[in-house]
Amino acid sequence: MRPVTTKQQILEQAGYAYSFNRLSYINRDARKVFSLEFVQDHNEDVLKAKINEPPPPPGEWQFFFNSEPSEAVKREFSAALS
Amino acid sequence: MAQRTVEDRLREEYFILLPEARRVLEELETEVRHCLLPLSSKLNRYERIEVTSRIKDCESALGGLRRRQEAATFDPNRADSYTLTDLNDLAGVRVLAFPRSRWIEAHGCLRQCFSSWTSDPIREDEDDMTREPLAFKYYGYCSASTTFHAELQVVPMLIGLFWEIEHSAIYKPSPELKGVAASLEMKERRREVYQALKGFETEFERLVQRDPLKKP
Repeated sequence: MRPVTTKQQILEQAGYAYSFNRLSYINRDARKVFSLEFVQDHNEDVLKAKINEPPPPPGEWQFFFNSEPSEAVKREFSAALS
Repeated sequence: MAQRTVEDRLREEYFILLPEARRVLEELETEVRHCLLPLSSKLNRYERIEVTSRIKDCESALGGLRRRQEAATFDPNRADSYTLTDLNDLAGVRVLAFPRSRWIEAHGCLRQCFSSWTSDPIREDEDDMTREPLAFKYYGYCSASTTFHAELQVVPMLIGLFWEIEHSAIYKPSPELKGVAASLEMKERRREVYQALKGFETEFERLVQRDPLKKP
């Protein structure tokens, strides 16, 4: 079984909060979104690596999903975040 | 004119499906009660088997389908691909049984009656298929509809009542909070509740069976 609490701790310590509406971990400052599916399916090292990647260009968001989200989904998400 | 959203389309579909869902539910509940009759008529006083049924309300159905998408987001470009008939639990019957031995027996009876249905047990940990499931769950078609599946759950009573309390206290008044339960931390807390309820029930049954005043 994956140590889920550790993943949650890694995300929370990096400034991510869980959105129960979008089933995702979101950091507004870093402008990054991790879907719950992605978090569940990847190990702690992958999460840390993605967290430590440079932030996206200003005004843009970076999405870490198992399936690459379409532009329409990104727009939906960005609208909900703005 | 504003474009119809994915949700608008699904709301329309819901009310088209509703009469059929009612027929499915009536058929399924009747069959389940009939199947359990030999067992429920021989229960001891402290033992219980209860059958409940429900049709998912419109917004719960939409929310359920939305949460099945990654990051709980519909893709507007694929609006036509979403349908409530993908839900297995639009109409569902839940059997609650106490104590655990009756839960196993009830499951045995129902498994025979619904042998063609697909098993989809509810597990504490989806990755661990070796442990006994938290509850048995099946889906399949009733003769009243081949448009969508109906769902049958067979649940230990204490766990089922915990779900009902959780639902009526939190998610019924605030369905938008449903995603809270999916969080990693809440899954851990729920696992602790399940362990406590299982332990309580196992010990209860053990003491009842070992009662020195019990007539052989």
